[in-house]
Amino acid sequence: MANRPQIRTAASALIAMIADEYASSVSRTMQQPYMFDHLLMQVHCWDTVVGFLLAGVGNVDLRRKTNYLIVDSKTTIKQIEDAFKEFTSREDIAIVLISQYVANRIRFLVDSHNKPIPAILEIPSKDHPYDPAQDSVLSRVKNLVSVESVASDRR
Amino acid sequence: MMEDQEEKGNAENGIGRQKQVKDEYLLQFLDSLDGYLTLLDSLSSTLSQGWLELASARHAMGASRINGALLDLKVHAAATSLKVSEQDVDSMESQPCFTLCKWASSDNGERSSGEEKSLSPQLRHRNNSQLSGIISSPVSFSHFFNFFLSCEEEKVSTRTGTPLILVDQQRQKSLSVFGVLVSPKLRSAQLSFERALETLVEIANLHTTMLSMFEQVHKELENTNG
Repeated sequence: MANRPQIRTAASALIAMIADEYASSVSRTMQQPYMFDHLLMQVHCWDTVVGFLLAGVGNVDLRRKTNYLIVDSKTTIKQIEDAFKEFTSREDIAIVLISQYVANRIRFLVDSHNKPIPAILEIPSKDHPYDPAQDSVLSRVKNLVSVESVASDRR
Repeated sequence: MMEDQEEKGNAENGIGRQKQVKDEYLLQFLDSLDGYLTLLDSLSSTLSQGWLELASARHAMGASRINGALLDLKVHAAATSLKVSEQDVDSMESQPCFTLCKWASSDNGERSSGEEKSLSPQLRHRNNSQLSGIISSPVSFSHFFNFFLSCEEEKVSTRTGTPLILVDQQRQKSLSVFGVLVSPKLRSAQLSFERALETLVEIANLHTTMLSMFEQVHKELENTNG
């Protein structure tokens, strides 16, 4: 009993989100200055996060830090990594939702996360459907199965 | 002689029990894997529905009214949160168990009343700017009527304070970022994403079970090979 790993329990924990969506089609019904197009792009990019914010998941703390990150064409890999590290180290976050497309960009970091909390869940995005072959947990299972089948063949 | 046979029998029973335990872990792992994949498929469908409803709402209300710039960056706590508890798997291991608390009002009553107070001036402001455009159109009269009903409901809620009405208040507060009168499609999108959240919490619980069983199976396989 003394060697049992401690599970961090919480009465009220947050869900963090790292979502991306690149506008698959930006309709240009009329010529507009760049600012309008940028806004339209943002509307298309924010759908998943907006949806979950409508469901009441959004949190802004006293330092004006949010529990979500929108990844667009200007977001760097470093920014995504920093956000991921921040969300996985925060005590008040229990689940991190990350678009699988974004997870692929920081795959090494996602795969190296092996704590039970926060749970990292890869979700589909509007333009990139979920692919089980790329899921961190499922690919680990697949590797184990393939290693065992090779080992049993050798025996 | 008899003792040797007894020892042999005990050893065989022990091996049989070990095999049974291994099979149990494997079955549990495969069950959780199957549940995980099924729920992810269900999540994809729910999210697709939510995106479609959001796009319909944007089409009905206009792109300028469903805009990322309107997102509330004022200090506020999440209305939907998680409760994390410990679940015993066996004597040597435990795993986290997630429970979704949808639209749970904050335990800090001061904070929640503060949020409500800050909401009403915004509503009045939006009222004045939007009503003049709305009343002129016969189609939008139904929207005005629905808004009037929701105001009446809010009055009732302050008197009775029943949980269902509080949940509706929280939902309305979340929608109010995009204006007082919103398209029914936006409300449907909100419900779709709430369903998606419920599915995600189930996925998270299966995820932890799957990882736990995976570790067990891995250990057993290593012991067998070793």
